[in-house]
Amino acid sequence: MSDTVAEPFLKGNTGRNTRGILRLSILVLIAAAAIASRLFSVILDPWFNFRATKYLVSHGFYDFWDWFDDRTWHPLGRVTGGTLYPGLMVTSGAIYHALRALTIPVDIRNICVLLAPGFSGLTAFATYLFTNEMSTSPSAGLLAAAFMGIAPGYISRSVAGSYDNEAIAIFLLVYTFYLWIKAVKLGSAMWGALCALFYGYMVSAWGGYVFITNLIPLHVFVLVCMGRFSPRIYVSYCTWYSLGTLASMQIPFVGFLPIRSSEHMSALGVFGLLQLVGFVEFVRSGVPSKQFATLLRGFVLLVFTVAFGGLVLLTVSGVIAPWTGRFYSLWDTGYAKIHIPIIASVSEHQPTAWPAYFFDLNLLIWLFPAGVYLCFQSLADEQVFVVVYSILASYFSGVMVRLMLTLTPIVCVAAALALSSLLDTYLSVKSPEVPVEAGPDGTNGTPTPSKKAAKQDGLRSMRLPIVGIYTTFSKVSVVSALTAYLLIFVLHCTWVTSNAYSSPSVVLASRMPDGSQHIIDDYREAYQWLRQNTKDDAKIMSWWDYGYQIGGMADRPTLVDNNTWNNTHIATVGKAMSSREEVSYEIMRQHEVDYVLVVFGGLLGYSGDDINKFLWMVRIAEGIWPEEVKERDFFTDRGEYRVDDGATETMKNSLMYKMSYYNYCTLFPPGQCQDRVRGVKLPDVGPTLNTVEEAFTSENWIIRIFKVKDLDNAGRDHASASSFDRGNKKKKTIKKRGPKVLRVE
Amino acid sequence: MRPLAIASAVLSFASTALCAEKSNLTTPLTSKLILPSTFKPVQNFQNANLVHIISLEKGYPKESINVVIENIASTAQDEYFLPFTSQQMATIGALEVKDRKNPDGALFQVEAVEFDPESDTQFYRISLPTPLAPKAQQTLGITFSYLSALTPLPATIAQADKQYLVYTFSAYCQSAYVTLKQKTEVKFPSVVVPEYTIIPGTKGEAESPQKQGSKFTYGSFGEVPAGAVEPVKVRYEFTKPLIHVSELERDIEVSHWGGNVAFEERYTMTNRAANLSKQFSRVEWASAQYYNPPTTAVRELKFPLKVGSLDPYFTDVIGNVSTSRFRSNKREANLEIKPRYPVFGGWNYPFRVGWNADLKKYLRKLKTGEGYVLNVPFLEGPKQPEGMEYEHITLRVILPEGAENVQYSTTVPLVSASTSLHRTFMDTTGRTALTLTAINIVDDLRDRELIVTYDYPFLAGFRKPIVIFISTLSLFAAAWGIGSLDVKIKSKRS
Repeated sequence: MSDTVAEPFLKGNTGRNTRGILRLSILVLIAAAAIASRLFSVILDPWFNFRATKYLVSHGFYDFWDWFDDRTWHPLGRVTGGTLYPGLMVTSGAIYHALRALTIPVDIRNICVLLAPGFSGLTAFATYLFTNEMSTSPSAGLLAAAFMGIAPGYISRSVAGSYDNEAIAIFLLVYTFYLWIKAVKLGSAMWGALCALFYGYMVSAWGGYVFITNLIPLHVFVLVCMGRFSPRIYVSYCTWYSLGTLASMQIPFVGFLPIRSSEHMSALGVFGLLQLVGFVEFVRSGVPSKQFATLLRGFVLLVFTVAFGGLVLLTVSGVIAPWTGRFYSLWDTGYAKIHIPIIASVSEHQPTAWPAYFFDLNLLIWLFPAGVYLCFQSLADEQVFVVVYSILASYFSGVMVRLMLTLTPIVCVAAALALSSLLDTYLSVKSPEVPVEAGPDGTNGTPTPSKKAAKQDGLRSMRLPIVGIYTTFSKVSVVSALTAYLLIFVLHCTWVTSNAYSSPSVVLASRMPDGSQHIIDDYREAYQWLRQNTKDDAKIMSWWDYGYQIGGMADRPTLVDNNTWNNTHIATVGKAMSSREEVSYEIMRQHEVDYVLVVFGGLLGYSGDDINKFLWMVRIAEGIWPEEVKERDFFTDRGEYRVDDGATETMKNSLMYKMSYYNYCTLFPPGQCQDRVRGVKLPDVGPTLNTVEEAFTSENWIIRIFKVKDLDNAGRDHASASSFDRGNKKKKTIKKRGPKVLRVE
Repeated sequence: MRPLAIASAVLSFASTALCAEKSNLTTPLTSKLILPSTFKPVQNFQNANLVHIISLEKGYPKESINVVIENIASTAQDEYFLPFTSQQMATIGALEVKDRKNPDGALFQVEAVEFDPESDTQFYRISLPTPLAPKAQQTLGITFSYLSALTPLPATIAQADKQYLVYTFSAYCQSAYVTLKQKTEVKFPSVVVPEYTIIPGTKGEAESPQKQGSKFTYGSFGEVPAGAVEPVKVRYEFTKPLIHVSELERDIEVSHWGGNVAFEERYTMTNRAANLSKQFSRVEWASAQYYNPPTTAVRELKFPLKVGSLDPYFTDVIGNVSTSRFRSNKREANLEIKPRYPVFGGWNYPFRVGWNADLKKYLRKLKTGEGYVLNVPFLEGPKQPEGMEYEHITLRVILPEGAENVQYSTTVPLVSASTSLHRTFMDTTGRTALTLTAINIVDDLRDRELIVTYDYPFLAGFRKPIVIFISTLSLFAAAWGIGSLDVKIKSKRS
């Protein structure tokens, strides 16, 4: 009955339109689901980007370009316009102005908050386009879009309020790849130019553009090695490279890097290689094959020596920048820990633990190899791209947790390819007619799609025109199992998103005994206090993790922030935190510090506090001042990191320790003073502070702000001044007096 | 001579321009009533009996003068003048005069007099609705309050210390006329008044003040000439915050389509109480919470909203503040907000609150024509036991696009009123916005009404749907037009 009703809508021209509308509505629903699943909680982070966007909106583009920010990295300042990727801010600024032109009074904050979910919808669409280029099956693209929309690996960086470069960069990444595939397929300069355009946008948006810069040349290189050089590749690559490089050089932060730094050399090399190959092809068409072979051999040798020698020479002479530390750490995971502690101290730069793959990708991770395998079945140029991409991204995602993000798109695509070929095989209502001589494969149900079988007629068993599934039971069982997997995947994604990726770092939520939600909002409490009740130019010293937040929420100048461009300055703060008060006071006076902010989780059991990060401060400071700060001194003789009675003298005298535990024990009855993070009992007598005084402590003690005392009015040093205030007797200093001398005027 | 005059004119112009930038504390109330600089009130009246009541129970002094005036001129008089010093004139708020015998009657017309800006004595002119016949008497009830008039002494105290405030006034009530008999009553918030001026009794009068619990009485005094002053200073305990809102912006947005009226209030709040002598101590604060002692810090603000208010929000510049509670049922709608941190003396806490309400409760359509009547509270700020003072209030009533013939009435004394256009949410012409400004308002005037009448033609409501429909249609048409253009270099069939 329904068949007859639906018949006219599924066949012919109307059928195509119906399917088009269906596909469109499915895509819109996927985008809506992608956006909706990112709205569990909303906290803007990182604040620097928001602050920069506000600056852009209020001061205009040219001022933003020339922005020198004197409220960060005091007293150095930061040439912000030249040291950031402006794509994100410019995007939200453009949206803001467009909406304003339509007289929709939207706050720039709302745009910033909703930018990442909005772009995740676009990413789903881009994934659909990209996958459609890979497969002839119409379901693959939709599946890939759905996976991309809800995969936790991508949600982790694109929940509402996560206003980071990745928010738009993943969309640009996938879309650039789509345009690249399109260009390669068609050999079209237009698509190549479009690809270059989006590549330029990507460069303006995220430092991860280097991934594209290396992946596309690698794809071309592999194709050339496979003997698949063709004018299509030549045209698309040369268009992309020349236009894309020019576009990328327009970003001040990138500047001349594309022709000077080693990370970009592969693109340049492949560009040169293509010229050579093109030239060789041209020669081959005019020269007889025997001479050609000798010619080629000599030519290749010459080019290789010249190119390699040139590269070495340029690297040694410094024209090409040597490999950066961050780059080395991609190959040797232990490198950063030894040489650049500042990189290793960031949790998202750690190597990925294997459960993370299941956590972030769940069912996709085991469909992924199957999808890649299917790509080998019809190894056209675009399938080679998928293979190259998956190998490269798999490696990098294992090196750094953060690069899981670049792996996610290709996993979604490959998994969708695998799943769609499964579904296409098992979901067809029609059973193939039993052939007269049924092959053994046919009865067992080979999951090979009929079209592919038709193409590859090398094997005899494949020569049969229709291969399919015969029994309804196997169809039903496989399809229902797959449906169950997919449903579980959706459940998993929702659970992960709501529990793991939507808990903002600034606000901690917990449950009260009666089940109501209790929100611990100490960060914002303290930042708001700083913003309202301190001088407008009061300098705040804190560890760099909180720099952006202080700059944005408290609107006060900071010494260091999350843009860790100056290691020495960070080490200075580390030294101030890890040294004795007298040493720190000198540093703080030199840097005009007014307030010091520390994060202390001891009362609440909040483990991400400064005492737990303290060793990194020590290590980074030790890297610059190995004589003055020594990591060993913070460990007991038995090699323990202790904060209780058994802590080392250096630990107990460090400014960080003193500030964290100052006055803490007065909260508890005697003998019960406990640090709930480290789970240890603290001595009853807390540390005393001479050079700083407690100015504000948030409700749950997470943020403690100390005011740096001014110089003593009577010219005493702070230790004796506060000892006098406490009413201690002045220690008699026995001065050696010389013999009395008669004063003669 | 001429250049000098020009120079002085330029200078005075510059000085007024400078003054305009400061807060209103330095600029007196503007007035259209300009009198010659030699102005002195004509001695047409005398005060037969006067009771001056000063209430110090809240965070601002509230004074009321109940006076029996008698016309001693030979003709009927209708202008009674009330003197103030320039300093008082700048901070006086909500001066209202009523007939004591007829408390439900309309408020008398009151106007600040502008004559000589250099003089320390300024006047308010009270216009009696009916001229007072010779020898006749009338009882006036004059109420007003001063902003920022209480100063803590000592100016800095420890976190748990008690706060003492100082208030200076005159035991003889200010008057431009001879007063035959008067007394001044001071109501304190508690009996703890460590310091006060003692006026020795003379000529059979008892020594002032007489104490009666927390009420002190100066007087009564006999005949006092016009303009006589007897300064009195009192210092009393008041361990509560002095909440001062230097700027309140209140928006009321009426939507006929949505059937909704949206309120939003933006407060620039500061606490004028004694500053902390040492830094804030969380340990002390947390341990004090168990027995809840009186404090000078603002811990909580309670907004009793109109019943039926919904979707409240409380944000500040960083974002949503999670420490708020909203209790709404059939009888009440209480919004209780807690600032992120206790706001001690000298600390600031700007914030914004907003809520929605059903339009039906506030708006009525007139039976005739296309007129509407909107009745909203002028002020819905927090109701605090210690009171609140508002230095500057800007109230904006945003009416639907196309509303015209806007009229308003309110009993709150206004400084200025204007209508303008406010463009938002795809407006073509913009919405009619009525902006009212008031200064020096205290929370006593909290429940005063504002009645706005306006005409809203039936077709004006359809302006936006039509505009959106036409623009979408033209967008599609343009897309179709561009899509059907053939821009290919090669012909399609090649």
